[in-house]
Amino acid sequence: MGRERTVSLVRVFDAPRSRVFDAWTRAEHLARWFSPKGFTVPACEADARPGGVFRLCMRSPDGREYWMRGAFSEVVVPERLVIAAAADDERGIERIQTVITVTFAAQGGKTKLTLRATAGGDGAEAGAMLDGMEQGWTETIGRLAAHLAN
Amino acid sequence: MVKYADEQLDAVFGALADRTRRHILDSLSGGGRAVSELAAPHDMSLPGVMKHLRVLEDAGLVARTKEGRVVSCELSAEPMKAAAGWVSRYEKFWSEQLDSLARYLYQQEELQRWNPLESKPGPSSSSSAATRSRRKNSGAPGPTRKR
Repeated sequence: MGRERTVSLVRVFDAPRSRVFDAWTRAEHLARWFSPKGFTVPACEADARPGGVFRLCMRSPDGREYWMRGAFSEVVVPERLVIAAAADDERGIERIQTVITVTFAAQGGKTKLTLRATAGGDGAEAGAMLDGMEQGWTETIGRLAAHLAN
Repeated sequence: MVKYADEQLDAVFGALADRTRRHILDSLSGGGRAVSELAAPHDMSLPGVMKHLRVLEDAGLVARTKEGRVVSCELSAEPMKAAAGWVSRYEKFWSEQLDSLARYLYQQEELQRWNPLESKPGPSSSSSAATRSRRKNSGAPGPTRKR
């Protein structure tokens, strides 16, 4: 297995935990939010059981399609999901393997969601992409690039 | 197409790991410079500067141009932007996904007020779906690399 890097995000949603959990585990919900702005989801399959399919197509405004194909590897209702998937580019070539861990914590009527997206790949290209994911380097490079671009 | 290669990143960080080269990059941030101009502040010989410029060129950080007999250099910041680009795009992808989830949950909440039917529980069932259209929003593409 190649190197792995992680992106972490925490959000609080003004919705009860069961609803936020459902949004991640039912295709009819996923299809309505799991895509960047302007994209549509022409296909989505979700079977939220360990080993169950997680498969989704994101179509860009200009018609290009990006598939995520994988499975739920852990499902602990209503507090934890782990999805292992591959992400393809618009030509359908697999580019990245990613493991998404989502935890849901109830906070009164709200839900604190923690997402960790780990990406790994064996190819030299994926590995090199991941070299850039080191947080400290990223910030430094970003500052330097911005400085040099002016 | 921007290529992310181990070797390229090694070359970039190797090039940056020298303060003279960093100063040269700094001098170029205001625009292209003749090679002779770059040598002056460092009290360096021309061959000395050329050695540093070669390292920077190999890393793809500067490009040499020749106008008549004057050789100049200018920045090409692509490699560094490329390295920083991937993770920020991946982070942006997930950040946008969660923004999208927030909007969706809010919509659901609004719909619930007008139509208080509970959605069926049971994440153990398989489900599939598609959407045909979304709200018109402009936005950046998802987790792909720019070419």
